[in-house]
Amino acid sequence: MNLSENIAGPHEQGLPPKAARPIHGVIAVACAVLLIAMMGLTVVDVLGRYLLNSPVKGATELTELMLAALIFLGLPAATLDREHVTVDLITDRLPLAIDKIRRPIVLLLSVGVQVMIAWRLWVTASQVAGYGGTTATLELPVAPIGYFSAMLCIVSAVIMFAEIFYPMRGKN
Amino acid sequence: MSLLAHWEFGTLVLFILLFLGVPISFALALLGTVGTAAIIGWSPSYSLLGQTYFEHSRSYSLSILPLFLMMGNFVVQSGIARDLYSAAYAWLRHRKGGLAVATVVACGGFSSVCGSSLATASTMAKIALPNMRKFGYPDSLSTASIAAGGTLGILIPPSVILVFYGIMTQQDIGKLFLAGILPGILGVVLYAVAVRISIRFGHFDLPVEDKLPLRERIVALKGVAGALGLFAFVMGGIYFGVFTPTESAGMGAGGAFLLVLLQGRLNLSQTLSTLFETAKTTAMMFFILFGALTFANYVNLSGMSRDIQTLVTSVGDNPLMVILIITLVYLVLGCVLEGLSMITLTVPIFYPIVAAQGFDLIWFGIYVVIVTEVSYITPPVGLNAFVLKSVVKDVQLGTIFRGLTSFLLVDVLRVVLILAFPAIVLLVPNMM
Amino acid sequence: ETVLTMNSWLPPTHPQVSELFVPWMADIERVTEGRVKINMLPAPLGPPPAAFDLAKNGVADIAYSVHGYTPGRFKTPMIAEMPFMSDSSVATSVAFWRVHEALLKDAGEYEGVKVLTLFTHGPGEIFSTKPIETPEDISGQKIRIGSALAHSIATDLGAVPVEGPSSKAYELLSQGVADGIFFPFESVNFFNLNDILDYGYTVPGGLYNTAMFVVMNEAKWNSISPEDQALIEPLLGEAFARRAGEMWDKVDAEGRASMEGKIALKAATPEEIEVLRDRLAPIVASQIAKVSETGIDGQAAYDMLFDEIAKIEAEE
Ligand code: NA
Ligand code: NA
Repeated sequence: MNLSENIAGPHEQGLPPKAARPIHGVIAVACAVLLIAMMGLTVVDVLGRYLLNSPVKGATELTELMLAALIFLGLPAATLDREHVTVDLITDRLPLAIDKIRRPIVLLLSVGVQVMIAWRLWVTASQVAGYGGTTATLELPVAPIGYFSAMLCIVSAVIMFAEIFYPMRGKN
Repeated sequence: MSLLAHWEFGTLVLFILLFLGVPISFALALLGTVGTAAIIGWSPSYSLLGQTYFEHSRSYSLSILPLFLMMGNFVVQSGIARDLYSAAYAWLRHRKGGLAVATVVACGGFSSVCGSSLATASTMAKIALPNMRKFGYPDSLSTASIAAGGTLGILIPPSVILVFYGIMTQQDIGKLFLAGILPGILGVVLYAVAVRISIRFGHFDLPVEDKLPLRERIVALKGVAGALGLFAFVMGGIYFGVFTPTESAGMGAGGAFLLVLLQGRLNLSQTLSTLFETAKTTAMMFFILFGALTFANYVNLSGMSRDIQTLVTSVGDNPLMVILIITLVYLVLGCVLEGLSMITLTVPIFYPIVAAQGFDLIWFGIYVVIVTEVSYITPPVGLNAFVLKSVVKDVQLGTIFRGLTSFLLVDVLRVVLILAFPAIVLLVPNMM
Repeated sequence: ETVLTMNSWLPPTHPQVSELFVPWMADIERVTEGRVKINMLPAPLGPPPAAFDLAKNGVADIAYSVHGYTPGRFKTPMIAEMPFMSDSSVATSVAFWRVHEALLKDAGEYEGVKVLTLFTHGPGEIFSTKPIETPEDISGQKIRIGSALAHSIATDLGAVPVEGPSSKAYELLSQGVADGIFFPFESVNFFNLNDILDYGYTVPGGLYNTAMFVVMNEAKWNSISPEDQALIEPLLGEAFARRAGEMWDKVDAEGRASMEGKIALKAATPEEIEVLRDRLAPIVASQIAKVSETGIDGQAAYDMLFDEIAKIEAEE
């Protein structure tokens, strides 16, 4: 079993494995690094506070930036593996003919929302960059994380758009 | 467009989008933005959207979520499901219906750690169901034990839903976690009673096994000792103020990592998979939250809270009446929404009303979660019963719901007890 | 009739809402004979750092917040966050407004909004669960701080800074994550910390302060008729700052009174004050330098602030 199948299952649905595999790999490694860093930072901060009387300077704001990165890195992955929560009470019972019309509409709507979010994140980030917004203690610029988030929203939107052309396999 | 300035119409459109199968997170964001635009114009509404996603994605208090998810996923990776079941089984096998009670305990424990009813149903069905069938337990009782036991996870700390509730109502997350402990234990005890009721009224003739010697029972605890220790470490750390709830998540994740490492179950590919799952779930949950916040801004600007407050108080300006109406709303919404969406959507509307009636907001958080649990197993649409049905294909949905009758009965009793004796909720957090 | 929406993130019971904004809103309605009304939203449209942009982008018409919540954005208000300013919030608030009008506003930090007023809270002091008799006692204590400047001050005094929002103050202190806190008198009382904290160490003029703003969307302001604008103006600027200062002085006095028998207050001796002044001088200098980065003469603004404070204190 390759890494991609191990971390995301055997790709029975959605994009073909060839396209999904590299995305899975990159995101998995990036998220693993972020999560381990967030965990490690808290542990070092708490231990430092009690044992050495010196917490990590700026631990709070570093955690905040890593959280934002994690959320938006996870978005294309959640989209790829269809993990967005939906109400499937009715959709599961629709005849195939109707579902063939419904599915692209729903996907296009979702793509549109993500593009809208990406656009506004980008604009907000450029406003923050305009006034030189930074974090409180370490004075790290915060705009880049906004640009980063916007770009990942677009990645997720592209994946979802591609899905329109790959109907769910294994569904009759 | 101007129709959307009225929240009644906006809410209707939202539900149409949801039933069409638009992901909850995106439907909320869309309606929130378009509705807000109908009230204050497109340009301000767009700015608000960008700010909401940008500011809330950097919230320190919310960093608790991925870290708790990570802790849970590591504990799952450590093979807790089988260990929990073996331990519960060793202690309960000699009692009447012991296997079903062991299933309830194991499902409660497992769902509490992993936080997903889907994962609980699929994992525990594989472990517990064959065993119960071997000993002649009827499918109704077996499946109901799994479905009901799995609801306990959102109450027993750490609980993602309680974190969201705490963020939205500005309540202390540590206190909310501590408040969930007693009602969670009460839930387990009452479900054990439900198993006995089922056996009594179903006239099931179930075998009782020999009691294991104490020594063997203690040995059976070995597999869960690590996880229990971790739970005690996290909750004790919060209770005694060694660290904040946010920090406890990071410390817990670190502890869980250590646990997997010590058990020799740490391999790179498996760990990567665990962390990847954590990131996906984090993204999915935060996008529901961002969507709900966007929608909440629309609610705020449209005057919905005020209108509903007027409506509720006109029906009956009596605390009990208000709570009963809210309970009903949750049971109905529970037919279409899962817990997280339900809580993020309704709590911003309800909590000011409840607070105005003099209810403690810690208490209300626990109450809402319990009612959500009940909605998971209430026909016609009980999320956990549906999930289980999708995993165990050879059992009829009717059979599962029939088995759940006695569990629902004791759940009603639990809700009444919590209403009558708020101390069950508030005792532990108030000792902090 | 114009209805202005106001974004508010403080709880409605906070005196800044109940004793400052609510009566001020009523006055605006009164002087314009109901033609201009302010509607405070039941819930905030965003977290406190978002407030300025909410008004700037026209999401809400009026918004207030703390300058320091968006680090890097406002450099000039740091002038009003310095140690040893005044024990009177009227003095610091009015002086802050006058310096803004005379010098700071040329930095152009408030583009797109009309500044309704600027103000500060009362003197910020140190409160702790552990004894503080001298400045040396602060060393090694874990102190919750809320701003970059307070972070520098705490670090310089040898304290271990603990980060976290003020709404989490009770949690941090009751659980022992922090030993003490930098707060004005009012906030100790408002966040129910009287029973947890046992010691206070006060410095004349305060050890730190917090600058705050109330702003309005510029286009929205321009949409109000010149006659009504003229009626509203006397309720803004210096008058509004004075009003905010009076409110803070009143609740600070109440906060101080409520500490009776619960918190032992120790005032810094003249020798200790000199020691503290020397130790904090580099921080003050670096803040002035930061203000100068905007093209304003930071030293002139600093000197004017203290001159104005002295004048206002003399009048009182
Ligand atoms: Na849980
Ligand atoms: Na239900």
